[in-house]
Amino acid sequence: MKPSAFEYYTASTVAEAIDLLERYEDEAKIIAGGQSLVPMMNFRVAQPEVLIDINGIKELDYIRQEDDEIVIGALTRETDLELSPLVQERCPILLKAVSLIGHASIRNRGTIGGSLVHADPAAEIPVAIYGLDAKMRVVGPSGERTLEPEEFFLSYLTTSLEPSEILVEVRIPVLPQKTGWSFVELTRRRGDFYIVAVASILFMEKGGVCKEARISVGGVGPTPIRAEEAEELLAGQVITDELIKKAGQKAAEAADPESDYHASAEYRRDMTRVFVQRGLTEARNTAKGG
Amino acid sequence: MAERRRITVKVNGVEYEREVDPKRLLVDFLRDDLELIGTHVGCEHGFCGACTVLLNGRSIRSCLMFAVQADGAEIMTVEGLAEDGKLHPLQEAFREHHALQCGFCTPGMLIVTYELLKENPDPTEEEIRLAVAGVLCRCTGYKQIVDAVMAAAPKMRGK
Amino acid sequence: MKIEGKYKFLASQEHIWDLFMDQKNLEKAIPGCEKMEEREPGKYDVLLKIGIAAIKGTYTGKVEVVDPEPPNRYRLLGEGSGSPGFVKGEATIEFSQEGQHTIVSYQGDMQVGGLIAGIGQRMIGGIAKMMAGQFFKKMAKQLKS
Repeated sequence: MKPSAFEYYTASTVAEAIDLLERYEDEAKIIAGGQSLVPMMNFRVAQPEVLIDINGIKELDYIRQEDDEIVIGALTRETDLELSPLVQERCPILLKAVSLIGHASIRNRGTIGGSLVHADPAAEIPVAIYGLDAKMRVVGPSGERTLEPEEFFLSYLTTSLEPSEILVEVRIPVLPQKTGWSFVELTRRRGDFYIVAVASILFMEKGGVCKEARISVGGVGPTPIRAEEAEELLAGQVITDELIKKAGQKAAEAADPESDYHASAEYRRDMTRVFVQRGLTEARNTAKGG
Repeated sequence: MAERRRITVKVNGVEYEREVDPKRLLVDFLRDDLELIGTHVGCEHGFCGACTVLLNGRSIRSCLMFAVQADGAEIMTVEGLAEDGKLHPLQEAFREHHALQCGFCTPGMLIVTYELLKENPDPTEEEIRLAVAGVLCRCTGYKQIVDAVMAAAPKMRGK
Repeated sequence: MKIEGKYKFLASQEHIWDLFMDQKNLEKAIPGCEKMEEREPGKYDVLLKIGIAAIKGTYTGKVEVVDPEPPNRYRLLGEGSGSPGFVKGEATIEFSQEGQHTIVSYQGDMQVGGLIAGIGQRMIGGIAKMMAGQFFKKMAKQLKS
């Protein structure tokens, strides 16, 4: 099918974009990479009357370090995240997550901002963002606000963005050296939407003790979840195989997935257990390796 | 009714100026407005990869982009591979190794493997498989395509 | 696809049965319901405008109340179609008294097809559950008024 007709505007600054959003509100949709929006438009499942193209807002395309944070403009292409030495060195978990998104041609257009705002329950970047406790900076007519993941993601395809607001930046804390991390996912084929995805981060202290653990799981609810009880199990402990096994089971209990055409709820829950276990094992290894 | 927009695009080295409806997909612009029918429309939702072209040097799915968004861009389609009527080494290799049967996915395959060899002139089989995984082929089972790229790579390196 | 769930109301079973049988309440509670007309007793034509984020659609459909066993249970048959796809389903709604509360539990089967299924299979169960939740919340609100 072909998309329904729309009015097309381009914005070259954030202020222009907000202006246009205020003018058209509910009728307008922002288009960045279009890798999620255009398929919906081609199927006429989405029929925005107005499209605001923000690809020209060069001021939103950047990756830089500010003190102990990696700061990424919302319009940064996923491929550029993969190619960035800063992301490779300071935020490898994001790199891994992004490398698993679809295929190269999709990552060449898709943006980090678009992925976050689209809030697909089976997207990789939100899972990494939950694990990293990254912050989203959002700008609207009444000013700007900074949101934590739980404040930003509300439900399926739904964020707390107001109609005239635009995501401008993602701020990611740089993890200390020797932090263990991993990003693993279960897909039938490379590039598919995952059944489950797990981001694991292990903050280590001397003697192989895990100071704090973060386990973020996607695919088992309307938004990613943090398996907090599993995380508490690991805090202050030496990470043993036995503990990893228990953490996986705890994480599975925290998951509340739906059954669908791709996988039953029981399978998703069991795969949460398996992939949390695999993820933690891998994270423990990267911690050892420094 | 949306206003038509004037856009300028360079495709395979040739500059075109046209008026388009904003809702015109890039793939339909290439095929219907520029009559470059080498690029194929398979699924219209970014899944099959048959519509893949190079935009400013990077492979993209042209069914997921509106022609108006390509204003000022440089595009290469599969028609841009051959030079002076002579097949590109990749195309030669595809022919020799039977890397196409129905040929529907072939434009997408050629563009993504062209991009791969540009960035990675000596890829492993695994790397080739990763590159072509995004283009769906129902005929060949992918083996001949991988063989063709393995064979083309040294030729393109000048060996 | 199986759907099921339950909701608790602070009211007697008879009261809840009447609440659910009243077309005016249903019209207000069904998410996105713009119009509900009774063609024949127990058979309704509905117009729904529902969506999530950018995915909005208008659906026309039919809803039928069958095998009513007041005040304990009835079956609901429904189907709707619109540009993004179609939905077809049936559910058994059961009422039971638990002290001062009435538990309304539903169990059924739903089929979703068309383009919306092609794009969002992974989300349909969750979204259906969300909408059922919205429906029950709105019904509970009407109880108070």
